[in-house]
Amino acid sequence: MEQELLLIKENALKDIKGALDAKSLSDVKVKYLGKAGELTAVLRNMRSVAPEDRPKIGSIVNEVRTCIEEALSQKEKAFEREALSAKLQGEKIDITEPSKGQEKGSIHPIMSVLDELIDICVDMGFTVVEGPEVESDYYNFEAMNTPKNHPARDMQDSFYITENILLRTQTSAVQSRELETRKPPFKIIAPGKTYRNDSDSTHSPVFHQLEGLVVDENVSMADLKIMLSEMMRRLYGEGTKVRFRPSYFPFTEPSVEVDVSCPNCHGQGCKTCKGTGFLEILGAGVVNPKVFEIAGIDSKKYKGFAFGIGIERSAMVLNSVPDLRTMYRNDVRFLNQMK
Amino acid sequence: MKITYNWLKDFVDIDVSPEELAKKLTNAGMEVEEIIYQNEHLHHVVVGKILKIERHPQADKLVVCQVDIGKETTQIITAATNVFEGAVVPVSLPGADLVNGVKIEVSRLRGVESRGMFCSGEELGIDENYFEGAGVNGILILPNDFKVGTPIDKALMLDDVIFDVGVTPNRADCMSVIGLAREVCALLGRPMKKVNLNFPIDIYSKDTVRNYVNVTVETANCYRYMAGAITDVKIQRSPLWMRARLNAVDIKPISTMVDITNYVLIEMGQPLHAFDQTHIGGQKIVVRQAREGEKITVLNHNTYTLDKDVMVIADEEKPMVIAGVIGGTNSCIEQDTKTVVLEAAVFDLKNIRLTSRKIGVRTDSSARYEKGVNVANAEMGLCRALHLVSKLGCGKVVRGVIDISSKKNEARDIVGSVSEINSILGVTIPASKMKNILDNLGIETKVVGDRLECKVPPYREDISNCNDLAEEVIRMYGYDVYDKVDIALFENARVTEGQNHPRLAMERKMRGVLVDYGFNETVNYSLVPSNMAEKLLLEDERKNMIRVSNPISDEISCLRTSMAHSLLSVLSYNQRVGNKDARLFEAGRIYLPKELPLKELPVEKNRLALVVHENGFDFFNMKWVIEGLMSTVCSSFALQRSTEPYLHPGVSADIIVDDKVVGRFGQIHPLVAKNYEVSEKTYYAELDTSFLAELPAKRYSVKAVPKFPVVERDIAIVVDEDKTVEELSKAIKSACGKLFYGVKLFDIYRSSALGEGKKSLAFNIRLSDENKTLTEEDVTGVINKVLKALSFRFGAVLR
Repeated sequence: MEQELLLIKENALKDIKGALDAKSLSDVKVKYLGKAGELTAVLRNMRSVAPEDRPKIGSIVNEVRTCIEEALSQKEKAFEREALSAKLQGEKIDITEPSKGQEKGSIHPIMSVLDELIDICVDMGFTVVEGPEVESDYYNFEAMNTPKNHPARDMQDSFYITENILLRTQTSAVQSRELETRKPPFKIIAPGKTYRNDSDSTHSPVFHQLEGLVVDENVSMADLKIMLSEMMRRLYGEGTKVRFRPSYFPFTEPSVEVDVSCPNCHGQGCKTCKGTGFLEILGAGVVNPKVFEIAGIDSKKYKGFAFGIGIERSAMVLNSVPDLRTMYRNDVRFLNQMK
Repeated sequence: MKITYNWLKDFVDIDVSPEELAKKLTNAGMEVEEIIYQNEHLHHVVVGKILKIERHPQADKLVVCQVDIGKETTQIITAATNVFEGAVVPVSLPGADLVNGVKIEVSRLRGVESRGMFCSGEELGIDENYFEGAGVNGILILPNDFKVGTPIDKALMLDDVIFDVGVTPNRADCMSVIGLAREVCALLGRPMKKVNLNFPIDIYSKDTVRNYVNVTVETANCYRYMAGAITDVKIQRSPLWMRARLNAVDIKPISTMVDITNYVLIEMGQPLHAFDQTHIGGQKIVVRQAREGEKITVLNHNTYTLDKDVMVIADEEKPMVIAGVIGGTNSCIEQDTKTVVLEAAVFDLKNIRLTSRKIGVRTDSSARYEKGVNVANAEMGLCRALHLVSKLGCGKVVRGVIDISSKKNEARDIVGSVSEINSILGVTIPASKMKNILDNLGIETKVVGDRLECKVPPYREDISNCNDLAEEVIRMYGYDVYDKVDIALFENARVTEGQNHPRLAMERKMRGVLVDYGFNETVNYSLVPSNMAEKLLLEDERKNMIRVSNPISDEISCLRTSMAHSLLSVLSYNQRVGNKDARLFEAGRIYLPKELPLKELPVEKNRLALVVHENGFDFFNMKWVIEGLMSTVCSSFALQRSTEPYLHPGVSADIIVDDKVVGRFGQIHPLVAKNYEVSEKTYYAELDTSFLAELPAKRYSVKAVPKFPVVERDIAIVVDEDKTVEELSKAIKSACGKLFYGVKLFDIYRSSALGEGKKSLAFNIRLSDENKTLTEEDVTGVINKVLKALSFRFGAVLR
């Protein structure tokens, strides 16, 4: 009997293994476990087994049955998976069809540079402030050590509204306001629109700047250099170099033009940088003690440095915008490229 | 400002190339914006002499010339008619690349070889003012004494190198050759050569300057007035070397006396004026403010009516010169001038600047005066001019000069500190190096411990404190020292906490929402045309726009009082170029004056504005956008019909938060759509971001999720068109009482079967009880109550 059972098991497993599809597997199941199945037949013969042997044989029967059932179930699952796979294959779609739902819009390149710079500066400990765009001559010029009829006023052609009110020509105007009210030490930036009576292919009468000012007891030109290097590295990418060239602004002394190594050619010289390897991005310098004195800050105790970044230039370089005016035309075909 | 390499060499021995010098100047803050080689297009052009002219065997209009070009004789064919045997002419040889783009090669003309070309003045880039004969229509015939074979750039003195230097406004002292030469001396560590200021005078002569002119200064705007007199004046062409210098810096050579004044202006930075002495009425020069209404005709042929803010140089009755700016025609040098009074003056820079702006005339003279001419300069300028008069032999200098001066000009002592300079710069430069740099710049410096005792020369009016000294030191020391600085970020600053501006932070969120909703951000000019209010049908205070006094064009002359103009204009532009659909926005400001003309600064308000034109996009799509935006700042808002003039009165809404209008949106008014040439199906929205940024941070008050099942019922009712979803929803809510859990409109249906002016609204009503599961009976009871209420209050009929 035992032999017989083991033989059934062996045959059953062989049949299960050999089943080609769900149908033949089902036949196998009937053949062994069905009412007229082979194992069922053995069970029926249990009566002929000596009572003392019954538990042993019984347990073998159970074992064989479990074994066959498990093998069947495994094979069944395999067939189901196969059938499902085949079905899913049939449901294949063209994944290159366009997406559904609202297509995304875009951030304007000028605003995107401003956003980025604001994040970088806030991270460095700067507080973002704003000032009026319609500004008094005092804050825009005089408090920035540029009295009326100062030759430096020629550097910027202003839009005047009245004799003493104009459209700010520089975000530096915010410096003078903040210097009057803030207690050092502080670090501020002021992003925003500025205006100059100048309009050609490289000058827009309305443009954007980001002004920065740091006031503390011991800061120097060297701190300015390190800070700008870090800021430009974060904006323009790893390996970006910053270089100083002497310049003049009435409100800083010494004053420098700050060049950033061209992100396009990394200083080798290309079309973007007109072959110089560097881009003129911003002006900076050590706060002129006269500016502190005008604002009532102790120029013996405090030092500072300031910088002003022209945003359009960076927006153009970082996004390879070919022409300044493109950015103010807001053609959807241009804006869509910023997605 | 243009100067030349050779001119600088008059004052300092330069042993570096022009490029090298330009680099040094740029690195020291005198930016050389351009280097121009005068002879760039003059190579392979030499002085030649025509030995023989023969007819061309094959062509009537051509002749074959044998030309001596120094080392050899060459054959050139020409069609020019003004050449003759023995003529000395410029000859361009094979390899030449002339200024007009002509490249010379050996060629055959009708079978005969030609090895070059004779040149006209124009082909050499010169005109009659520069060289006699250069203006004729034909070949430039050179003087006989020009040596055959000499390169033409040498022969015509066109071999200089021109620097175009951007001098910063603080360095008025560098607006001259001598000023930049001082910088070159410091950069090369070379001494300055002595400037020749000598001129012979008869010291025994009784004829002094006072016999020719008397000067009175009646205005405080004149700091110094010097005058000299010259007799026996010969007005003629200046020598070539002087014309060459003037030509190189773009000044037209005219004649000796005028050329000398221009030469000194460029060289010494001292504007001069030459009067024909016979036209100085009463031999009196009076420096005074103009009388109201006084008129003067000046050298640009314009006549100006003056006022008392303008300073003039007058004789006993009439103004002769607008001081520092431009001379009058009544006393200028003429061809027959015999006696000249030469003025060298120093004026108040502000006054000259103002006058120049007022009359709209800018000259080389005013350009220098308005940056500030040093008082000491007048003397040097006058003497240099008188030296040149005698050198050129174009007149006899009269003994004595007039010198009226109201301003002293002396070297100033200032004290700097080595440690302070180093702490400003953040680098360590030794005291000895600082002294060396400052000495070279003409700032005599003594080091006493940490102290730097500096004697600042008069012309360096820009230097007054330690920061100024620091700048002088570092620009000469070299900014490349910072390439090696290696300190930590903000090593010398205290830690501060960074913080974004609250409104900018809020706008950042909203802009993000808009990008998700498919909007493109735009940036527009805040300057708009003067008819903006009209185009937008604005009748309120927004009609009063601030206008700039000197606009570039009317199109950008006023500050916007509404964002709508900018967004509609940009939409209009896009539709014009064929971009039919657009979702656009801008975060910007509007500018509201308190009164006009402006007495105080206007109120500037921030706005977020949106415009959409898209197939199928309607009011309710815009409402969805508004909900998305508003959800970034507050949990709820109300709507009321808007009266905004540029919106469709029936299809627009004001957005209300805390009883305040914080924005509006809707379809554009058809008239406005027409004004901007945009489709009538254009939707606009605007949020008052200045106000919204002030709202308290958004917080939630969450209720527990119901413990018992929520039951839903749908009802459809027919009502008149004028019944609003909002009032019906409110009525449903109140009829449901405590069991109300939610109501939502899910369908609107209109048809003729319903009747004219009727609509069917389908609501989904959700009910829930805190304490039990609702029975069918409970629900039916509530729904019946709802229907009864809707029927009673709104005449609603169950469909």
